[in-house]
Amino acid sequence: MTDTTNDRTLPAYQLPHHPLRDLLTGSVASIAFTFIAVVAIGLLWVGPKFLSFGNVSIMGTFLIVPLIVGAFAGFALLAGVVDLSIGSIVGISAAVFAYLISHGWGVPGAAIVTLVMCLGIGGLNALAIVRFGADPIAATLGMLTALRGITWVLAGNQRMISAFDIDWFNLINMQVLGLPLFFLIAIGLTLLAALIVTKTRIGRHVQAVGGDDKAAGRAGIPVGRVRTAALMLSAFGGGLGGLVYVGQLGSAAGATGFGLEFQVYAALMIGGYSILRGGVGNPIGGALGLLVVAGVANILDLKAISPYYVNIIIGLLLLAAVLLDRLRGGDSYE
Amino acid sequence: MSLAPAIETAPPAMPFKARLGGWGTAILLLSVWAALLIATGLYRPDFFAHQTLLAIAFTMAVVGVLAVGQGIIAISGGFIDLSQPAGLILSGLIAVRLSEAGLPLPLVVVGAVLTGMAWGALNAAIIVFAKLNPVIVTLATNFIGLAALYLIFQLAQVPNGSEIYHFGRTNILGLPAIWWPMLLIIVVTGFLMRSTRYGRRTTAVGGNRAAAKARGISLKAMRFGTFMAAGGFVGFAAVLFASAAGPFNPSSASTLQLNVIAAVILAGISLAGGRGNFWMLLLSVGFLSTIPTSLVFFGLSSDTQSIFQGVLLMIAVAIDGYRARRSPT
Repeated sequence: MTDTTNDRTLPAYQLPHHPLRDLLTGSVASIAFTFIAVVAIGLLWVGPKFLSFGNVSIMGTFLIVPLIVGAFAGFALLAGVVDLSIGSIVGISAAVFAYLISHGWGVPGAAIVTLVMCLGIGGLNALAIVRFGADPIAATLGMLTALRGITWVLAGNQRMISAFDIDWFNLINMQVLGLPLFFLIAIGLTLLAALIVTKTRIGRHVQAVGGDDKAAGRAGIPVGRVRTAALMLSAFGGGLGGLVYVGQLGSAAGATGFGLEFQVYAALMIGGYSILRGGVGNPIGGALGLLVVAGVANILDLKAISPYYVNIIIGLLLLAAVLLDRLRGGDSYE
Repeated sequence: MSLAPAIETAPPAMPFKARLGGWGTAILLLSVWAALLIATGLYRPDFFAHQTLLAIAFTMAVVGVLAVGQGIIAISGGFIDLSQPAGLILSGLIAVRLSEAGLPLPLVVVGAVLTGMAWGALNAAIIVFAKLNPVIVTLATNFIGLAALYLIFQLAQVPNGSEIYHFGRTNILGLPAIWWPMLLIIVVTGFLMRSTRYGRRTTAVGGNRAAAKARGISLKAMRFGTFMAAGGFVGFAAVLFASAAGPFNPSSASTLQLNVIAAVILAGISLAGGRGNFWMLLLSVGFLSTIPTSLVFFGLSSDTQSIFQGVLLMIAVAIDGYRARRSPT
């Protein structure tokens, strides 16, 4: 018998990890290249105007809510419990926040009540998914529908609640260095989330639970509690998104946040997350995915091309991204 | 053929408790549905009018046929087909164009069904050859399909006075003509899934694909078969939809999606695959289609409809998950 323990040389294709090489081959690499490609196409086709402060500022304003929502929803994806209800949570958060303000509440009180309600919604999602073992996609699809219904009812016959608070409006729309302040804050949040995911014990627990919940459970990680927390975080992010919308628009409509979940998840999947498999993806990749989608939409908009082509491109990018993920060793179906 | 007898012959008698479990869903659905009908009837006696029946039957028709397609996908382990809205609108558009060209109704139906099957084949091709999960593939194809459809048309409608137009406005035995094909499809599919080799194979693949593969069932062929069959049902549903819905745009079918998924889950067809009875769809689709009409009679705004549907769907999946967790398979 030969001693196999001495035979530990790695095959040629399996080089040891190195931070620089990981940048080129890791999960963020392909989305980073796509991002660079989109910027290059923008510069070549649209011209320097594409990266002007004015244009980036316009994109940034539209990206604030998706970036915040995506950073938080990413935790639920990582933990292996996709939360489809985020778009409706944004809607109901905006509606409740606007309703409270229009009924004489101050912004801080209204914001706290709204966010606590959103945490409760996340708790209900967790009750169905973690406690009863409901399928996350179907269960949160139900939550999506129910919350949208409540939002329509709250919005009433006018289909909107106007809630203009000058201080809140000024804060949300403040510009710093020619860019929206909250765009920078959203990017800061993304970096913070990335730090938590990659560098802390909590982040590793979330990834472990999403990667293999049985193994994580055997390793002593409280699987149910991690998933519950992730779903509550995801709902909390939706709540924050609603507050920002009210600041941006000065009102909440029955349709606020409608379809946002598909927009965000398509971008997050392009960025390396998976809605069916936990443990993969990274907040920075997700944010780059959102930037890519926004960049494509912006280029086509500046070139006055029908916005329907954006959806076609996003759909194709999505298929390419999941195919790439599978080729890189992701789960293949059957 | 050296296939295992378990798939080729009728299943052995089930234990009494399991049989009761199957009927449990039916009894539960029927009693909830009856309770809803009685409550609405007591509150507003005029609920039991022929007009109400027509409205409910109307809603049932399209959702019922779509639910059969969705059920075939789910029971065979393909999870969910999220591209049904795009497939429905595409087939509906073909139906409109064919009837504008003056083709008789049977040819219009054939054209729509073939279109639906082609759409299903496209989905299956991506799923099988790229080995990607159906949920993501159909999410993407729905996205792409609806956007492409918007580039082709904004509003379509079956021509006034054409055969398909009359089909959508005729009543047979007091019910809309479009209701009867739905009934026939659910009953026949339920029978085929139970009593034919192909039906049992489809269910077996969903229950345990590794075992089914080991017994010589080709998963690729199965995936193509189920998605094309489901696509055919989507195409037929499109005929019912186009005949009765009036003018429609590419987004018109998007609200149906949730009803269809809810109907499949409520009927006890597990999203995890391998379990379910198609006849139960009659009850779940009927119950779900009664809710909107019922709410109107209670004087609630139509906005409240989605609250009820959403809560109901959550409860149904929670029960489905709880059951799957408790059963050893």
